[in-house]
Amino acid sequence: MPTTRRNFLTVSGAAAALALSGSLPEIKTAAAGWTGRVDRRDPFTLGVASGDPLPDAVVIWTRLAPDPLAPFGGMDRRPVEVQWQVAEDEEFRRIVRSGTARTGPEASHSVHVDVRGLRPWRHYWYRFRVNGQLSPVGRTRTAPAYDAVVPELSLAFASCQAWWEGWYTAYADMAKRDHDVVFFLGDYIYEFGIDRGIRPHSNEPYITQQTVTLDEYRQRYAAYKLDPDLQSAHAKAPWIVTLDDHEVVDNWADEAHPSAPPAQFRVRRANAFRAYWEHMPLRLSSLPKGPDMQLYRRFRYGRLAEFSVLDTRQYRSDQAYGDGTKAPGPETKDPARTITGDAQEKWLLDGWAASQTRWNVLAHQTAIARLDTKDGPEVLVPMDTWDGYEASRNRILGGAVQRKVRNLVSIAGDLHRSVASDLKLDFNDPASATVGAEFVGTSITSGIDGQDLDAGGATLLRENPHMKFGNFQRGYVSCSITPQRWISDYRVVDKVSVQGGTVSTRAKLLVEDGRPGIAEVQK
Amino acid sequence: MRIRRQTVVAAGTLLAAAVLGSSSMPAATSDVAATSDVAVSVAPEQLSVVGLPCLPSTLNLTMTNTGSQDRYADLTLEPTGPLQLSRTLFSSWLPAVDPDQPVSAPVEIRVPRETRPGSYQIGVEVDRSRVTVPVTVEPLPSKGPGDNLALGEQATASSTHGNFTLCGAVDGDKDPEHWDTLTGWNDGTRAVFPDTYDVALSAPATVNRVELYTLDSAKYPARLNGLRDWDIQAKVGGVWQTVTQVRGNTLGHVTSTFDPVQAEAVRILCLDGNDHTYSRIVELEVYGT
Repeated sequence: MPTTRRNFLTVSGAAAALALSGSLPEIKTAAAGWTGRVDRRDPFTLGVASGDPLPDAVVIWTRLAPDPLAPFGGMDRRPVEVQWQVAEDEEFRRIVRSGTARTGPEASHSVHVDVRGLRPWRHYWYRFRVNGQLSPVGRTRTAPAYDAVVPELSLAFASCQAWWEGWYTAYADMAKRDHDVVFFLGDYIYEFGIDRGIRPHSNEPYITQQTVTLDEYRQRYAAYKLDPDLQSAHAKAPWIVTLDDHEVVDNWADEAHPSAPPAQFRVRRANAFRAYWEHMPLRLSSLPKGPDMQLYRRFRYGRLAEFSVLDTRQYRSDQAYGDGTKAPGPETKDPARTITGDAQEKWLLDGWAASQTRWNVLAHQTAIARLDTKDGPEVLVPMDTWDGYEASRNRILGGAVQRKVRNLVSIAGDLHRSVASDLKLDFNDPASATVGAEFVGTSITSGIDGQDLDAGGATLLRENPHMKFGNFQRGYVSCSITPQRWISDYRVVDKVSVQGGTVSTRAKLLVEDGRPGIAEVQK
Repeated sequence: MRIRRQTVVAAGTLLAAAVLGSSSMPAATSDVAATSDVAVSVAPEQLSVVGLPCLPSTLNLTMTNTGSQDRYADLTLEPTGPLQLSRTLFSSWLPAVDPDQPVSAPVEIRVPRETRPGSYQIGVEVDRSRVTVPVTVEPLPSKGPGDNLALGEQATASSTHGNFTLCGAVDGDKDPEHWDTLTGWNDGTRAVFPDTYDVALSAPATVNRVELYTLDSAKYPARLNGLRDWDIQAKVGGVWQTVTQVRGNTLGHVTSTFDPVQAEAVRILCLDGNDHTYSRIVELEVYGT
């Protein structure tokens, strides 16, 4: 049946009533809480998104915010019903799922619909409607069937998008390319206050003040999500997200942060988590319970690839030696310390033991590979990366070898630089076995323009023989995965300090099936 | 003249002001819980504010979950008249724990310079329970001869460290022991000099003396952490001109006198600190003849 917007009126009784009253602005209805006043402001200022694709399901997301930086996003405090549709085509001629979702101020008027009953490995288009206003259309894609043979998967991954440090040109490029799924690996917002920036309005209070309370975190997400390039990247493909430190506060570790005693910090963490969930296309299963949130989870793309999405913040031991960049020592090697927490470590290793996929991917926050940052024989490594948790690293990489994990690949962010490395069973011994490949993506903007190879990057390449490629510009990584090989295409932006920078491939790195580590670097 | 300023009440010394008890509020509607399990307090209980741009008054808002379930709560603020609030909403998760755990956030209150003295109020509401905070707008302090012309006037800086506030060096608090409570200015660019800290005078005035208080506490003595080298500049006809210089300083308080100059603004051009990292000013005072 050829239909367009009109079909919205027929999805359900409740939806029809809402739509009808919305179409007759002067007439008051008897509907509870509905005054008949129609708000003509665009409620979809923050765009739409989808995420956490399964073979039969995907989460679609929006948030109603006609005045996005104002309290409650400019919404009043009554509950709202939002209609949604999922179609097999961009024109919404073949609508396969639709319904009504209820939201309100307690959820920042965000909408998370876990759309079920979809077909595997196909594109869908979705949109929302409220008060007679239609959202932009988003495109998404379900995962392949569990045992499907998948000839090729394309994915992108990104991290670290300090809003005030530049333009999201990388996202404009990402949205132009065709990715089946996008991984976001942390630092979606920055919580601290700044006093100047690249972009106009960088000196507005919603950017210059640190976020501590729930209203402040919500406002920060709104400020970031107003960006049209970020919105277009969300609208083009489903995202699978995890968080790192700055969604809460710089370098927090479980309940430890120097800014506050644990009881007080738990309140901040709860506020940060709540705002994070509200603004991400996450399932209800990730809805925070106060300061706790289930974020580590697994996604399978047929027989081709399995992605273990980690949370290395919420359960980690406090950073060794007071954080910073230090020499490894008894603390970093202490087997009682962990970056994953015991339960997540067991979940990861048990999952690997059962894995049947060609590629096994860790999608997570920060580098596993050793990063010696000091020229010469002295070794100085970051205490916040897996270098600060050597025993944890040995258990995970050793555990992968013991379980004969096929084609281990780590994708991560955090460093604000591109770093591609072989993962070694023992980083103290360059001759030890290579057990996997690691692709750390650079930041979307954090650090402003950067340069091809800075002094720090040159040192890293000299001091870390397992490191095969480094770059200090901004960008993201676009990957093509087939049963035979994995190609990581490092997309870099010449300048993020101006609008309309040029995005190009800086290097392509190859991993071959059955051969751990990076096989080839094409520059 | 020192004017009275409301200070932030540190956590743990909460005033039991205006606590909304669950028993004192009548039922508002039949379908909404009439009583709130969130106790609200504000400190201080009443405020005064002056129309100086860099001298906001601060009200500390506290919500405490007195119920048995963890919950989220929204505290809304409704000012009357000319009151300008840095926030009108404070939302937070509130744990239900024993002993009760208060959760606090500050709100800054300003009024325009031309605001007439008078009485206003801020309504504070959670779960339809409401408390009112009286606010008195005080007359502007005298800015004549012998008065500190920089007090509360608009500051601008080359940068400000995230743990500090721009207005901290013109807030009337020159006690270096208060450094950790946001009463001073610290630039945001470590080991990069120069840094600038400017104060725009409310009107061009003849000035001939600057009193600069740099960090000089028991823990952080000036000879190790204070400002070492700086130029004092006056903005005359839109142009900065250096009126005097200080070099090799090791003291916490430095008085600089210079030939009278008709200045629109005064700038401290910070050239180095004794630890060569940050520029730190606890208070900057400007006087004329």
